[in-house]
Amino acid sequence: MPVELEETAEEDLTAVDRPWQTVVWNDPVNLMSYVTFVFQQYFGFTKKKAEKKMLEVHHDGRSTVASGSREEMERDVQAMHEYGLWATLERADG
Amino acid sequence: MADGFHARRRGGAVATFSGFEADLLRSLASQIIELLRNEAAVPAVDVDPFEAMLDFTGPTTEPDDPVLARLFPSAYREDEEAAGEFRRFTETDLRNGKAGNAAAVIDALEEAGLPGELAEEGLVIDVELDGEQSVVWMKSITDMRLALASRLEIEEGDEEFWDSLPDDDARAHVHDIYDWLAYLQETLVRAVSR
Repeated sequence: MPVELEETAEEDLTAVDRPWQTVVWNDPVNLMSYVTFVFQQYFGFTKKKAEKKMLEVHHDGRSTVASGSREEMERDVQAMHEYGLWATLERADG
Repeated sequence: MADGFHARRRGGAVATFSGFEADLLRSLASQIIELLRNEAAVPAVDVDPFEAMLDFTGPTTEPDDPVLARLFPSAYREDEEAAGEFRRFTETDLRNGKAGNAAAVIDALEEAGLPGELAEEGLVIDVELDGEQSVVWMKSITDMRLALASRLEIEEGDEEFWDSLPDDDARAHVHDIYDWLAYLQETLVRAVSR
């Protein structure tokens, strides 16, 4: 019995804790300077890190800018939409 | 032609606009508000507050209008159900936020001296924004640019096409406004960037 219980608890934990991530996608409208500014302002990135992420968006078409629980990532995606950036969330292993 | 925003010594940004430019910004901001209120996806703002509280349903499907679809993109690419749920819980707030930002732009222009009806020739106004207002303006200028880009069907690397349009093509004028907003945005970001 105790063993089974432990297993169940572990499974639940894995499902609940599975990290999600926020992805920002390239679009032809937003300025590089603005995207960098948003990353600094909202995520608190240093200018250097914000520029690196912005260039990933620009060159690779997408960049993962945050990871965490689903609720946290939904909050980040909503904030990105407030700024007019195109963002989605997905499972980190997806 | 104004030269965009400059940094203020105490933070924030300041810009000088001609009456024509200020009136144009106000008109774009009004159109954003109109657009956000137009499509009946949102529960009306002026319904009975009690009824409003009982109405939990926000929209669950992507807006038909391409501008609205770009302002409120799907949060999940491969999960329609999750995307619908996200939309239901966020789109009303997002709409109200964007409409509020556009209204703040109009307020700032009018407080800076833009009259309700632009009549006076040679009117020039100085718009001063603190740090917080600067971000509100950036968000709203972004919404205006996203809206114009959707209407113009702007794509990556299509600058040559826009440059080649004859002057009497209406799209060329709209594209000039789109470019001007980019310039405003660039100078505003630069003015407040660390």
